[in-house]
Amino acid sequence: MNIDKLMDRSYYWIDEQARRTSLALARRLSRRSFLSRLGIFLSGAAAFPLLPVARSFAQNSIQEVGDPQTCEYWRYCAMSGTLCSCCGGSYTSCPPGAEPSPITWVGTCRNPFDGRNYLMSYNDCCGKAVCSRCGCHNTEGDKPVYFNSNSSTVLWCFGTENTSYHCTVSLVLGAEDE
Amino acid sequence: MRFISIAVFCASLLSEQAHAQITPEELTVETMPTPGANWFISKTGNGGYIFDAISGEMQGMLSLSRYTPAVTHWAPRQEFYAAESYLSRGVYGERTDIVAVYDFENLRPIAEIVIPNHMARLSVRGHLGLMNSGRHLAVQNMNPGHSVSIVDVEDRVFVYEASTPGCAVIMPVADNDFMQVCGDGTLQLIQLDISGFEENRVRSDVFFNVIDDAVFDRVARSAAGWWLITHAGVIFEATVNGPEIEISEGWRITDLGEEDWRPGGREEIITAHQESGLIYVAMHQGPVDTHHEPGTEIWVLDSNARRRVGRIELETPANSLTVTQEAEPKLLVADSRGGTHIYDAVSFAYERSINTPGADNFEDF
Repeated sequence: MNIDKLMDRSYYWIDEQARRTSLALARRLSRRSFLSRLGIFLSGAAAFPLLPVARSFAQNSIQEVGDPQTCEYWRYCAMSGTLCSCCGGSYTSCPPGAEPSPITWVGTCRNPFDGRNYLMSYNDCCGKAVCSRCGCHNTEGDKPVYFNSNSSTVLWCFGTENTSYHCTVSLVLGAEDE
Repeated sequence: MRFISIAVFCASLLSEQAHAQITPEELTVETMPTPGANWFISKTGNGGYIFDAISGEMQGMLSLSRYTPAVTHWAPRQEFYAAESYLSRGVYGERTDIVAVYDFENLRPIAEIVIPNHMARLSVRGHLGLMNSGRHLAVQNMNPGHSVSIVDVEDRVFVYEASTPGCAVIMPVADNDFMQVCGDGTLQLIQLDISGFEENRVRSDVFFNVIDDAVFDRVARSAAGWWLITHAGVIFEATVNGPEIEISEGWRITDLGEEDWRPGGREEIITAHQESGLIYVAMHQGPVDTHHEPGTEIWVLDSNARRRVGRIELETPANSLTVTQEAEPKLLVADSRGGTHIYDAVSFAYERSINTPGADNFEDF
């Protein structure tokens, strides 16, 4: 048997399998049911890229010590800016009316309570005047602005409707040893 | 009695007349005199304050956006140039980034060129650079990818935006070219053509490691090129030879036993007097990653002999330094509490403090 015939037979087999599967699906499922399942699949696919972020929000069992309104709080080891926890928000939430920036710089901070290192994401909250309360500038692992993923100096109000800086939050993205 | 009253009345009239002879004062507006030696701009978040470093007197002010990284100038055209960013409602609304042109005489904006709304908006002196020919101005962008907007300030037109991934800081060299520092441990040279478009792009060999010992994004112009310094205090000189980037061997500014001394500060931590080759660096004692700690001392280094020639102890630690390029230069120091101080840059003697809102950087002109 030459290679062309083999290829033809393979294509025929694939076509035949696709035809039979489609017919079986058509017999078993109504059109509405098919659309419903397709919708569920698509929503699942859309949520997939959010999974790493969603996982970070699920990490609410971290045991912590300290005052989140002071620059010495463990999450702020690579923080630069104004603490949102002093401005009507918290270390994971922007104050009312502020717009969170989806683009961030990152750092690694050690939680003194459990001794684990955590990957931190520092998100700026934007679109309002600078809060100017509880200024904090730590530079652990900080790099110059030409290496901006690790630079705390940058104004990170990118991808927001308004680009003025208000304050900064610090989210745990994961533990180093996970 | 009646006669006396009339006489007193007449005398009082004469007295009134004498007072009425004072000419009413007129309100006038000053114009800037020709800039003198050691004049400089103190760039603050509130604008650019122009001072005479010798007398300490303020001469005028440039109104700048709060996001302006720096101001530069071109003496032959008697103009200042600033990159500015505005939001239509102050802290929200439509954003407009521009290059503003101010005249020397009245310090007023005489032209503006709209550029892409990608300005980095950080107070870094090296985020604005006028090419040595005086025609093309480069503005550092971050969106968050790095790019550079090129503006023809003579024809008042935006030319184009060059993508420069992983590289920032603008160091003008040759006639119409500039170098940048890159995160992979190299320098990048971008050569512009006569219209301001990119003609050639070259990378140097790797000479530093950004994780182990990063080069600061604060640089100082040397007689032949630019001085770069690492967080641990190793100095390199970068020059160009046509399309080639040449980087000198690095030299450490600390001696044995001084390893805990490091360069640091929030703004311009290094400056150099080009003719004499003296380099001034803000230094402090501290561990790794204290590169934004203000300098408790300024170390003065002779780049020709590669050795320290002076240490200036400071009452208030310094965040930003600039030395003027005069024959009798002044060292301008912005401290961490908003004070600005002037030293004789050769004898290192303190001369005066001036009252200006906290300076980010200085422009010598």
